[in-house]
Amino acid sequence: MDRRDVWIRLVGLLVPHDERHDWIQEWRAELTVSGGGMTHAWGAVSDAWYLRTEGWTMDGMLRDSRTAVRGMVRRPFFTALAGITLAVGIGANTAIFTVVDGVLLNPLPFPQSERMVSYNHEAPGLGINVPLIPHSEGTYLHYREHARAVESFAVFADANVNLIADGDPQRLPVMYATQDYFDVLGVQPALGRGFVDGDDVEGAEPIAILSDGLWARRFGRDPSVLGQLVDMDGVLHRVVGVMPEGSAVLEEEAWLALQIDHTSPEAGSFGLIGAARLAEGVTMEAADAEMHELLLRYAQENPDDFPEGALEQAGMDSDVKPLKEVFVEDMRSVLWVLLGTVGIVLLVACANVANLFLVRAEGRIREQAVRTAMGASRADMVRQYLTESVTLAVGAGLLGLLIGSSGVRGLLMMVPADLPQALHIGIDGSVLAFTAVISIVSGLLFGIIPTLGRGQNDLSLSLKDGNRSSTGGKERLRARSVLVVAQVALALILLVGSGLMLRSFSALQSVDPGFDTEGLLTFQVGLPSSQYDSPELTIDFHRQLAERLAAIPGAELVGAIGGLPLTDTKSASPMESTDRPVADGELAPLVETRQATPGYFEVMSIPILEGRALAWSDQSTEYRAVVISETLAKSLWPGESAIGRQIRRQGNEESWEVVGVAGDVRFDGIEDDPLPLLYEPIVRGTAESPGLATAMDIVVRVGGDPLTSIQAAREAVRAIDPRLPIILPRSVESIVSDSMQSTSFTVLLLGIAAGIALLLGTVGIYGVIAYVVSRRTAEIGVRMALGAPASVVLRNVVGQGAVLIAIGLGVGLIGSWAMSRTLASLLYGVTATDPITFVGTAALLAAVSLLATYLPARKAARIDPVEALRAE
Amino acid sequence: MGSVRMTQVTALVMRAVAAGHQYGFDVMEACGLPSGTAYPALRRLEKAGLLSSNWEDEQKAHAEGRPRRRTYHLTREGRSAMPQAEHKLAEARRLLGDLPEAPVGEA
Repeated sequence: MDRRDVWIRLVGLLVPHDERHDWIQEWRAELTVSGGGMTHAWGAVSDAWYLRTEGWTMDGMLRDSRTAVRGMVRRPFFTALAGITLAVGIGANTAIFTVVDGVLLNPLPFPQSERMVSYNHEAPGLGINVPLIPHSEGTYLHYREHARAVESFAVFADANVNLIADGDPQRLPVMYATQDYFDVLGVQPALGRGFVDGDDVEGAEPIAILSDGLWARRFGRDPSVLGQLVDMDGVLHRVVGVMPEGSAVLEEEAWLALQIDHTSPEAGSFGLIGAARLAEGVTMEAADAEMHELLLRYAQENPDDFPEGALEQAGMDSDVKPLKEVFVEDMRSVLWVLLGTVGIVLLVACANVANLFLVRAEGRIREQAVRTAMGASRADMVRQYLTESVTLAVGAGLLGLLIGSSGVRGLLMMVPADLPQALHIGIDGSVLAFTAVISIVSGLLFGIIPTLGRGQNDLSLSLKDGNRSSTGGKERLRARSVLVVAQVALALILLVGSGLMLRSFSALQSVDPGFDTEGLLTFQVGLPSSQYDSPELTIDFHRQLAERLAAIPGAELVGAIGGLPLTDTKSASPMESTDRPVADGELAPLVETRQATPGYFEVMSIPILEGRALAWSDQSTEYRAVVISETLAKSLWPGESAIGRQIRRQGNEESWEVVGVAGDVRFDGIEDDPLPLLYEPIVRGTAESPGLATAMDIVVRVGGDPLTSIQAAREAVRAIDPRLPIILPRSVESIVSDSMQSTSFTVLLLGIAAGIALLLGTVGIYGVIAYVVSRRTAEIGVRMALGAPASVVLRNVVGQGAVLIAIGLGVGLIGSWAMSRTLASLLYGVTATDPITFVGTAALLAAVSLLATYLPARKAARIDPVEALRAE
Repeated sequence: MGSVRMTQVTALVMRAVAAGHQYGFDVMEACGLPSGTAYPALRRLEKAGLLSSNWEDEQKAHAEGRPRRRTYHLTREGRSAMPQAEHKLAEARRLLGDLPEAPVGEA
């Protein structure tokens, strides 16, 4: 046989049986005579496919599905059971996929968004857990001038300002951005202008560009808003433009010019996130390579900020990646794990429905034998089966779509991250396509199983005697056994996954964050720097506020800090001790610095281990006292007392005296090790540049439920300055639980998924064993009539199930082990191959499964031999 | 026996067969159609009863040193449907201008 021959025989398998012989003859002859090339050989596929599908007319399909629907209506219980099982599986997949699609797959909704990149740095050598190192004013100006690979480049920072209109202060989320920001986004103002050259230069007139929503809400879409002055944080901003709807990346409602000192930019403080639009035809790699060169050049030109070797030590390098990743990074692994999880749930559901179909097929052997005798081919029967299963699956898919779309809403409420508002998360074309595909595929999957291993002989045999000893039964028993093994294995994988997440969750709960949360109310107050421009005013405000808050009934203690732990605030500087300065060319360790009032330590119950806490008398430009955390004290002065030592920002002249050492707190995340921390007074600079605290988190210990005191807190602030709103009032407890939200979210969903899988798996095992028992009724009857004791029968039947369960558990353990790497990044305090979880969940599943086999086994052991034999 | 919708493709195939091209690949080449298009058209026409097929004589093929080939012929219904096919082709030519000409009259 030559290759052509093999090909034609292979393709010939597509051709219906009765035409196959002639078809192969004809094509072989034609190809031989013509010396046919590959184009003709491909034509054979079209021809064969035509013959295969010829009978598949719309009419035929409709007829088949009408028969299928009629069959389903006749068996409402069966249909409902199978349909709902599937609909839950499909619905869960639809819901998770909708979020995956919206968050991970859909591009940002801006023109040519594939060209929008995050244009920042990375510095793995610093050992701090941040996704990116943003820009300083200096790097911004440098790249903006020299980068050719990007068409436009801007830096931005989101913030909240106090908008004062009609005498009523309102908290307004805004975005500070440099002049090319809207070019990066690729959007044009709907009214007025965007940023222009010079807007971002320090000293330029402050301008504001409004979002469509703010314009409609506060200004009634009045075009004369252009040119008006609005008070934001006590500074009058001139409104110069209005952006069209959908211009916001996060939830900002206005864009303000980020003003930068172009002549002597701040170079060493990296806080501005960079975004760029790649030039036409430039790849991300090329832009990254260019940025790498530019960074080296910048470091060379600015030896003060980048001493020799500093880049290498920090591992600092360019980092150009899709802009969207900046916003969705922390959702990625959670979402993929969840999609995998619901995928497994759907597989378990399919196995269950396949089981139901097998039971039904049992009752239809005679019907099919008759149809075969009347000339229906095996292909016809398979088609009829598949039409039924796919019709059911499509119906379940529609129901699943309903379940999924309402599930998405619930899911979004629980989602543990601030998602970019710009992303569209909802049922769209790709979600519909996804649901359609998984419905049809699962229909084919559970539809094909009952048709396997059913030969012609089997059917004619069953027509002859129609009893239960036909060989087809054995085939189906094998199919069902495979299903049980698969269900046990899949259920175990989900149980292990949720077990690992549960252990992580409980490990997180028992972590001591280093502070007390009970009865603590917190809110933010932002002091506009235009008004609170002297140390006296700032200190006076906080002293007054502390007094007034302490006067709230039940309130005892008050403190304030510029950024509470676990709130995702970052403000790190390289710090060194004056007695042991870091060598030239080395970067001092980064230390989180926070301005705090004297009451902060006491209200948060952070212990002072040595020395004293900050005092009001420290809060001046004269006296320079700080408190440091234990970790920092140990790293700077190992084995010695830190009290009385001097500490300074690397390269700075001024230093502070350490007056106290405070206990460590978990700062970045509850799962991250405590960071080195430095607490400074709220006035920390010199008389010329006092370094005043602006945005502060106020913490009040009140008796009982903290949220009941919000109104009183609001009045306390208002009594001091009626223009100041209080921002984001919440309990400190909720901050801690929010920081565990990602884990608790995953625990909850994995738990639900594992529960469903366990339930479906148990039902599946029960079904199979019950079926085995019903088939063996006669045999068991004979055995018992011959004197076999009930206990032997019981052991025998349970043993049969136990073998399947054991195989399933083995496969499931191997599967879980293989999957453990995927889950590893979500775990805390437990390894991905934790033996306790593996053994524990396997034991749980074994117990439940054995119970599912015991029930039908007990029934078997109670068989009355006489009854059993008479029934045959 | 069913009916067939006359399309340009079936019309071309019919004319090629009428012109005496009796093997599948000959029809295909005469029409200038790919095998994946020509064959399904042949199948449809045969099913509709406009064409019939036979296997050629074993000995004749053996003498020529090749396997037996399947041959296609117009049936009586096929011959009476020819004007309809020609009409279809004329119409197509009018609309599209340039259709591959099936060589007529030389087998």
